[in-house]
Amino acid sequence: MSKLSSAVVGLAALLAVPVVRLQPTSSSDLPEGLLQAKTTAACTECHEARIIVQQRLSKAAWTKEVDKMIKWGALVEPQDHDPLIDYLSTNFGVDKPEYVADRIASVRQKKTKK
Amino acid sequence: MITRRDFLKSASSAALAASAARPVLTWAAGDSTLPVPGKEGLIVRSYRFLDLETPVEYFNTWITPAEHFFVRNHMHEPATLDPSDWKLSIGGEVDKPYTLSLAQLSKLETHSVVNTLECAGNGRAFQNPKVPGVQWQKGAVGTGRFTGPRLRDLLERAGVKATGKHVMFRGLDEVPGRVPPFIRSIPIEKAMHTDTLVATQMNGTALPKHHGFPARALTPGWVGAASCKWLTEIKVLDKEFEGNFMNPGYRWPNHPGKPGEAVKPEDTHPLTALNVKSLIASPGDGSTVHSGLLHVQGTAWAGEGDVVGVEVSTDDGRSWQPAQLGSERAHYAWRLWNFQWKAKSGDYAIAVRASDNLGHTQPTAPVWNQSGYLNNAIDQVRIHVKA
Repeated sequence: MSKLSSAVVGLAALLAVPVVRLQPTSSSDLPEGLLQAKTTAACTECHEARIIVQQRLSKAAWTKEVDKMIKWGALVEPQDHDPLIDYLSTNFGVDKPEYVADRIASVRQKKTKK
Repeated sequence: MITRRDFLKSASSAALAASAARPVLTWAAGDSTLPVPGKEGLIVRSYRFLDLETPVEYFNTWITPAEHFFVRNHMHEPATLDPSDWKLSIGGEVDKPYTLSLAQLSKLETHSVVNTLECAGNGRAFQNPKVPGVQWQKGAVGTGRFTGPRLRDLLERAGVKATGKHVMFRGLDEVPGRVPPFIRSIPIEKAMHTDTLVATQMNGTALPKHHGFPARALTPGWVGAASCKWLTEIKVLDKEFEGNFMNPGYRWPNHPGKPGEAVKPEDTHPLTALNVKSLIASPGDGSTVHSGLLHVQGTAWAGEGDVVGVEVSTDDGRSWQPAQLGSERAHYAWRLWNFQWKAKSGDYAIAVRASDNLGHTQPTAPVWNQSGYLNNAIDQVRIHVKA
């Protein structure tokens, strides 16, 4: 870690950076299934599950996306390639209901909740 | 007017805030959404990478406040940004490559441009068949007043060689895995235009971190991807930059085909200017209103063109009436519009379409392309009017 990074981390610690909780909800979590854990491991290293959950794609389109992501560094064992595509196209296919996005909560709302 | 001292002071504060307020993310049960300070109420397309959409009801001002401005990140934002360490290099096909500190950049003459910035993928969610990507609906767009030195001035100081045909921008965003970096280029003619900036301010204060602090390219009238954030390198090239975000990313079919049809990469060209488009900000889709005089309001923009007319239909597109355009205007900025309608009880589809000075009017359906770019189909809301 550079001197600057160390200084910033130190400063952040001094300023008591809030620990914010991200809740895996029905709208942002990957659903249960044999490939849930492997998909989570392969994809969420770089981006959160919400990026996947909002898609509504055909199997052909999912295949292109998965192959692109493997090229970009997603770790998928050869034997998991086809089951992973099946998992994604089953859960996030074109026939699934419309995705409903969350909105950013205000800090005030958060405090009120607690 | 913002003095250099004011700018550096606010830049330092912004940097401190950016570092100090960076949330530590943990996955745990308890809360359903993550606060993003200064962005309350925005629609979450993604937290990581951060992609936030503006709800259309916020589009009731000519200038979009920074806290309501959409955020589009392809990568992770820079973890640390210290204005005293930041450097901008200008090189490539130039006679005298050089580097500027933020203090040196802030000494240069500035120019302001009010620009409507829109993500090329805005409206992707309405493409049929569905296409992959961030599923933006209507609000990946906003209008800001951007201020900074002209890119042209920076390039002229370096002396662009005759071989310099394109200008590449590199940002400080952090790239995960083997993902290609978000690097793109624009043609030298656009780079040398007097309205193309290296913006250091947005709406009169230092750029917020989510919008590219301390400096971003501002390529007015063009898709948002042409306005690289967290800018650190400007490089003049002898040809268009070759990278994922130039090809196959951000391209448009030369001859748009039927929905769902594949287009060969060689039959496409890079996206440049935004197209003519309008939105209904109020009343909201699915809302119920009282009968009587109803103000239908929204915005309309046209990239490098000028909006010359906005029309509203209250009968499912069978007839169209002219809306009144707002008085606030600038070449690359949207126009607010307003339409007064005596609404009687019933169910209605209200639609809006804009036309520009280049002879374009919004189509009824989006032009098909495999990435869902530049969807400028006529906007429509359905409302119920009760007696």
